[in-house]
Amino acid sequence: MTSKIFKSILSVAIAVLLSSLVIIIGALYPYFGNVQESQLKDELSLAADATEQLGESYLQGLDYDRYRLTWVDADGTVLFDSHADTAAMESHADREEIKEALVSGNGSSTRQSSTLTEQTIYEATQLNDGSVLRISVSRATALVLVLGMLQPIAIVLVIAIALSAWLAHRMANKVVEPLNKLNLEKPMENEAYEELAPLLRRINAQHKEIKAQMQTLKRKQDEFEQITGNMKEALVLLDNRGRIISINPAARTLFGASASCIGEDFLTIDRKQNMRLALEHAKTQGHADFRAKENSREYQFDLSRIDSDGNSHGMVILAFDVTEQVNAEKHRQEFTANVSHELKTPLQSIIGSAELMENGIVKAEDVPRFVGHIRKEASRLVFLIDDIIRLSALDEGAEMPHENVSLKVLSEEICETLADAAKLKDVSLEVTGDDGVVNGVRRLLYDVVYNLCDNAIKYNNPGGSVKVTVAQKSSEVMLSVQDTGIGISPEHQDKVFERFYRVDKSHSKQSGGTGLGLSIVKHAVQYHHGKITVESELNKGTTITVLFDTRA
Amino acid sequence: MRNRFDAQLFELNREIIEMGAMCEEAIAAAVKALSSGDIALAEKVKASGGAIDQMERDIEGRCMKLLLHQQPVARDLRLISAALKMITDMERIGDQAEDIAEIVTFLEGHTMEGMELIEEMARETIEMVTESVDAFVKKDVALAQKVIDQDDIVDDYFSKVKRGIITLIAENHTDGEFALDLLMIAKYFERIGDHATNIAEWVIYSVTGKHKEV
Repeated sequence: MTSKIFKSILSVAIAVLLSSLVIIIGALYPYFGNVQESQLKDELSLAADATEQLGESYLQGLDYDRYRLTWVDADGTVLFDSHADTAAMESHADREEIKEALVSGNGSSTRQSSTLTEQTIYEATQLNDGSVLRISVSRATALVLVLGMLQPIAIVLVIAIALSAWLAHRMANKVVEPLNKLNLEKPMENEAYEELAPLLRRINAQHKEIKAQMQTLKRKQDEFEQITGNMKEALVLLDNRGRIISINPAARTLFGASASCIGEDFLTIDRKQNMRLALEHAKTQGHADFRAKENSREYQFDLSRIDSDGNSHGMVILAFDVTEQVNAEKHRQEFTANVSHELKTPLQSIIGSAELMENGIVKAEDVPRFVGHIRKEASRLVFLIDDIIRLSALDEGAEMPHENVSLKVLSEEICETLADAAKLKDVSLEVTGDDGVVNGVRRLLYDVVYNLCDNAIKYNNPGGSVKVTVAQKSSEVMLSVQDTGIGISPEHQDKVFERFYRVDKSHSKQSGGTGLGLSIVKHAVQYHHGKITVESELNKGTTITVLFDTRA
Repeated sequence: MRNRFDAQLFELNREIIEMGAMCEEAIAAAVKALSSGDIALAEKVKASGGAIDQMERDIEGRCMKLLLHQQPVARDLRLISAALKMITDMERIGDQAEDIAEIVTFLEGHTMEGMELIEEMARETIEMVTESVDAFVKKDVALAQKVIDQDDIVDDYFSKVKRGIITLIAENHTDGEFALDLLMIAKYFERIGDHATNIAEWVIYSVTGKHKEV
């Protein structure tokens, strides 16, 4: 800005300087030329008069500082010259002013010197005797005048440049000052040049637009971050060169990456072979998945290429924890294997007995024992199948009729049923406590109490006791079955509710049962949104407590 | 121009990480083959050496091209020159993993039973390799320094293993060839530790511009 202003000021100054120079010289030079000419004419006429009267003697007596006089004869021979030797001079007859004077009595001409630095003005007049007297004066040309003035002009120019620079600087500052003071954050509150108003209005409008866009952008970003931030699944977005664009907290934990990894190569946070191969595969095929163990949990990794208009824009890596799923799968497989085994054992036994009888190996008196054995094993099978059906019904979570059931009445009923079995093992049975009314499925509650009591009797020592206590509390009903039996060691306590789990494998045949009892108990309690806890000490006894919430 | 250069540096960085990962996998697999006596796995490790060599040549070519075409300066130049040195060490690690795998194929059923020291040494060495690659990935000088310090531990292990083998021979008069194989394996691990140390030193150089005092 300063330089622009400087240039304009300077060019104006130079233009003014030059034009005034031209005008002054152009006007003054001819004026002074004319004055000189008329002076010359006066001198000439004076000299002519004097020469006519006095002849050459007059001419020689003159002072020739200012001009030159030449007396030329009518034929052109120089009779006298104030500045040169007449003898050496050629004929002047062809000179313009002489010719003119010879013809019309008066003549004049102007000639430039060969170097153009001087101009000589000639005036000639014819004397009465026919000869011609010529006066001439030399003066500097306009060019020489201008050249002579160069130095002062240069000084003026330098002053002009300095002045313009200073002025330009000051002016620029002055012009810019209000612009610099503009508050662009709040464009409409400025009091600057009114010429700036459209610009300020425009800035204001753009401000608003940018703000709105920023808000939209931030909202979208927040939404995205909220969604991905709360995702349990790990999500990583990569650009088409494999750099991380976005990584959610779950993924950061999974890959052990810091927040600063954005923009880095994905390989910097995971360079394992299976990941590299999957990345390569997904890049060419569009999709890849694999399972891998990370931090002792099983993860499923899904990689998908992001395509749009036939161009690849990057990659999405999604990883989710499939540990539960893998475990469930394992459980299911184990369960299937267990079921087949448990179903097969009694059937083998039945087949064996039947074959023995078929082949007539069994003596007649032993037949009832064998038939009894077959019946026992068959009913065991039925029990087992019943239990499995019950469990799968619970697994499906089918809706069953609810009613108010008194746990105490139920427990007493069950104890009556189990009285014979208890007597056989020499175990005493006792039910105490409140009514304990629970709104639930009668059959399931029956299973709960039955299985708990059955176990308490089965795994009891001779002479032991089983105490069933029902307690009604303000918001829940507690049922506890306490025995004085063999107890469960701590490492087994968590597992006794698993299907087909047995603390002592060899024990199972002896005590009977299917290995599904406590599993059914657990599912039935869960069905009623209850809680079940085990307290047990080896060889001292076990207390299983069930809490039913009655508020729901 | 700069953009293209950056893209090429990015690719170089990625390839070094990849090569580092390949070395890690090779040595891990070799150790696994060693401790389980899995000859099939050992054969696989031997076969993987070619890929590492190819990778070395690729990276070398890329570095040369970058040096010639871009005439890098300062940090970029350090990265490229460090890369040229590091891949040599990585390639050596790959070769030694191969060598270990080759010995495994000769062991014919001999297992590392009773040679827990070698397994510990192997674990320490794998950790060093992993950490040196990690140090490069994260440009982490502190981690690189840790790797350099760790080399002493591996060196100690080597002398311990050596003494162990000597007593083994003295007490049991075991198969001499087996004892020598064990010693070779221990030596390879010790060498791998040295290469990991070199990588760590070049990582420090590429970040700080200072290579260890000679």
